[in-house]
Amino acid sequence: MIVTRTWLNNFIDISEVSNEKLYETFNSIGLEVDSIKTYHIPDKVVVGKVLSCEKHPDADKLNVCQIDIGNATRQIVCGAANVVDAEYVAVATIGAKLGDDFEIKHAKLRGVESEGMVCSASELGLPNLGDGIMILDESIGKLKLGKDLNEYDRVADTVIELELTANRGDCLSIYGVARDLSAALDIPLRVFDYESQNQEKIGLARVAELKASTKINGSLKYVMADVQELHTSFVFALRLAFIDATKENALANVVKYVTHTTGVVLRAYKTREMLVEEDDKITITASMEDEITHIEANGKPFSILGVSQNEESKADDETVKVLFEASYINPDTLVDAVAAKGLETDELYYNTSRGSEPDLSMGTKYLMYLLESYSGCNFFDGSLSLEEELESKIITINDREISELIGRKIDKAEILSILTSLGFRVQSSAEENFGATIPKFRHDIENIQDITEEIVRIIGIDNIEAKALKFAEAQRTNPTTQRYHAKKAIRQSAVAAGFYETVSYAFSDKSLLEKYEFPLIREELDIINPITEDLNTLRSTILINLLIASKRNVSYSKKSISLFEIGTIFDENRREKEVLSFIISGQKESENVTNNGKPAMIDFETFTKKLSAVIGDFQLRSNSQNNALIHPYQSADIIINDEVCGFMSKLHPTVADDFDLSDTFIAEISFDALIPQHINANAISKFQGVYKDLSLVVDKNLPYNQVSTAIESLNLPLLKKYYPVDVYEDASLEEQKSLTIRLFIQSLEGTLEDSSIEETVNTIVSSLEEAYGAKLR
Amino acid sequence: MKHLEEQVTQADSLGSLEKIRIELFGKKGALAAEFAKLKDVPGPEKKAFAEGLNKSKANLQKLYDERYELLKKEEIERILKAEAIDVSLYSNLEAKGALHPVMATMDKIIDYFIALNFSIEDGPKVEDDFHNFEALNLPKNHPARDMQDTFFCKDGGVLRTHTSPVQIRTMLETKPPIRMIAPGAVFRKDYDLTHTPMFHQIEGLVVEGKGEVSFANLKAILSDFLHYMFGEVEIRFRPSFFPFTEPSAEVDISCIFCEGEGCRVCSDTGWLEVLGCGIVDPNVFKAVNYEDVSGYAFGLGIERFAMLLHKIPDLRMLFEGDTRLLEQFR
Repeated sequence: MIVTRTWLNNFIDISEVSNEKLYETFNSIGLEVDSIKTYHIPDKVVVGKVLSCEKHPDADKLNVCQIDIGNATRQIVCGAANVVDAEYVAVATIGAKLGDDFEIKHAKLRGVESEGMVCSASELGLPNLGDGIMILDESIGKLKLGKDLNEYDRVADTVIELELTANRGDCLSIYGVARDLSAALDIPLRVFDYESQNQEKIGLARVAELKASTKINGSLKYVMADVQELHTSFVFALRLAFIDATKENALANVVKYVTHTTGVVLRAYKTREMLVEEDDKITITASMEDEITHIEANGKPFSILGVSQNEESKADDETVKVLFEASYINPDTLVDAVAAKGLETDELYYNTSRGSEPDLSMGTKYLMYLLESYSGCNFFDGSLSLEEELESKIITINDREISELIGRKIDKAEILSILTSLGFRVQSSAEENFGATIPKFRHDIENIQDITEEIVRIIGIDNIEAKALKFAEAQRTNPTTQRYHAKKAIRQSAVAAGFYETVSYAFSDKSLLEKYEFPLIREELDIINPITEDLNTLRSTILINLLIASKRNVSYSKKSISLFEIGTIFDENRREKEVLSFIISGQKESENVTNNGKPAMIDFETFTKKLSAVIGDFQLRSNSQNNALIHPYQSADIIINDEVCGFMSKLHPTVADDFDLSDTFIAEISFDALIPQHINANAISKFQGVYKDLSLVVDKNLPYNQVSTAIESLNLPLLKKYYPVDVYEDASLEEQKSLTIRLFIQSLEGTLEDSSIEETVNTIVSSLEEAYGAKLR
Repeated sequence: MKHLEEQVTQADSLGSLEKIRIELFGKKGALAAEFAKLKDVPGPEKKAFAEGLNKSKANLQKLYDERYELLKKEEIERILKAEAIDVSLYSNLEAKGALHPVMATMDKIIDYFIALNFSIEDGPKVEDDFHNFEALNLPKNHPARDMQDTFFCKDGGVLRTHTSPVQIRTMLETKPPIRMIAPGAVFRKDYDLTHTPMFHQIEGLVVEGKGEVSFANLKAILSDFLHYMFGEVEIRFRPSFFPFTEPSAEVDISCIFCEGEGCRVCSDTGWLEVLGCGIVDPNVFKAVNYEDVSGYAFGLGIERFAMLLHKIPDLRMLFEGDTRLLEQFR
């Protein structure tokens, strides 16, 4: 919503209120100021009158004008075509500075002396008002030749752009903003009224009638005029340009101007041709169906109340007899009906749907005033109206509850005075509870908290003293809080292991998910309105996002990329799951003196060590995943607490090619598995233990985890720890390999006897021999 | 004797000194030979001879000890010198990664509210209309829904447009008093220089008995919080509108870039909008069947906080995993 100082001045005298005060007040009453700009017309730009205008002897497009600037007449060469029709213009005289390096000087244009410049709006820093020079008229005030244009405050106006919240349809007009300002500044609102001076009018009822064939849920008012010599005055044009709403013709400009000024939604119709035959009486009928009111004239539909008008029936500058329609409908009922029917709406529907001005006669009177005062228009006498009977909304309030909500004592008298100034009717009484009647233009007010907000706006939040809320209660560390702490710890470990945290969109490209064989959300659960094609579904893995990020980093010549992300992924049924994903690509560490500037490429071993530094102990088993990122021979399921909770893999070389990556490793792990478990300590032995290396010859393809499972199942009390330390293959072993396992044997009860060590070792050897044909080397 | 002393004092290494020691003090050494002569010395001279010998021996021992100390010291010095390295070569090995600035900012915000005994709550990213809109006093076709461009799923699910649905879930699952925050990703269909289709919010909600929570309380906690985040800034509350709070306000801090003078970041206003807040609308309480309660709620965008705190110029960059940005936070 854009307002200007002088425009507001039509309804409230703010001549004594500074711009700073206005800015502060608007912000404090909830009409946020987006921008505030005072136009300054350069000095020495004055009002001039074009006395004569002749073609330049040597240039077709130039005119030589004699211009009266009050104390003198100047000869000025002007290139604008419309100077020929101009009477009053803005003249930049010698010495005027129109820009940092543009000063008006004596000039000779193709041999003709020129002592100044006739200016266009944009040359003066004003909004563009169309081709050619700016033509002034008395709408800016009495024109005095030679007077500085900057002294006309309707030209050098202050333009304020307000960002209105969705509930404040009542402030979508100059009048509405003035009304709110009046309450805040305690300056009376000027009520607009107008009575036509024209005595010889034809009664509208003689040429038109209005009836409702059903009950309708809004209000309508029609006036009609013979429109002639339609003229957009300079101030209208300038103000419409300030609000960036210049229309296609003069009639549309006037209608827009009135709507913006008063807030009343107005539409203009052709009567002849479109609505009725020549000399027919116009019968306008409104009828409602499913909360939508259709309006027709002599059987021809031309408007839907508050929603739209027929394009063909729209009046333009050629229209002689124009029917003007003012309408109001409560948006609360209308918006649902419009959405349900999927009706097309026009620009004015925005005002209606936010709550337009219900005082229709203010709109029609203002229209009449402008068209009769500034143009040669003649209105028919009277108007046709259908007014909806609405019960006033009354809300019961009391000062105690309002004070509690605000946290400061607010007196009843103060509440009464604020609400009255905002247009509420309040029944003053000695009772604790009292009723406030809501003005019709505030459809957004529904309950005592809405009223409290009005009080807060006007007293100002700055005048509410902050008070800390007292806490007296149990602590609130819930599982979600604990999960957050676990996540933070894991993130910190990942950082310590050299990974950078990323945040990527929870979206993905369906075609990429498909290509790399990740699950897709079932069609019937997918997003209807994706923002772009490459973010057209919810992701079922973070890895593709990490691959894309890595590719981007490679394009910035990064040689070593380590990223991780914790985020949500979605399965086929759109079930959400949090995962921790890693990617590491290229060199395994930064180039530095420790590696002579030639670090090795990342390998399975280094990646696994890094993972272990982040998430702690895990087991690896042959991979059971089947997405296309996985390298079939360097990939593994990650097992924590005996459950598969994710996978790690070297990136498949063809995928690495797709993303311009060199050696790359990836992992994705369910975050649920990483939440720390409760731990009970085991007894620690006071006695010495012994290490024993067990070298076994086993089948080449026997994975270590089968060996460890077999050892685990023996449940040997003395075997405290065991781990593989060496694998050795050579030709002499043929289809077998040598596997060395280091055992740590210790007793809780006493010093170990050689015999019990031997017994433990032998049990292991014989069980492995039995299960896998393992032989001691 | 003189030449023996010279041998000791001129030994140039621990090795040659050791050789000399054996030649002098060993069983077959020079001193042993001198002492052997004692038995041939006639009786009356024996005492003087022995005294002379002992004196010489003590003198030699002293010289030896001194020489040994010196050579040992030189030897250690040599070993140390040989191990010298240019430590400065090992600066900045870049072995540590970094937290994402948005996530680190989220951590900082969460820390504040945990210290004030707020619980953390969570909810699904794909919400239903009831939790995301209806229960938050955003009935269908309400113009305020226009403020939030929504992603819809074919089954009627919506990607949550704010963290506010977590308020509803928490209120339905627990009972007052409530003191919670809900951090997390939210989604809006908007993609340009200053908007991304996903970003992060933190929502806060406090519910107590009727008449206990006031706007003044909200002012107190948010002023304190903003000072915790941004230091000594001025704070301004402006009345505003949110469907789920009434009265509502937006909160500005004085611009931390120009200190209120007016600059590009604050669009020459001197103020930066950072928060939205208000007293919980009675319609929200009605939707979760709460009676006789009062409460306040607030919400903020974490990316905005991170960008302001760290002077990050470009929002979209935050979602690209660009290590040129991330490395700066190591």
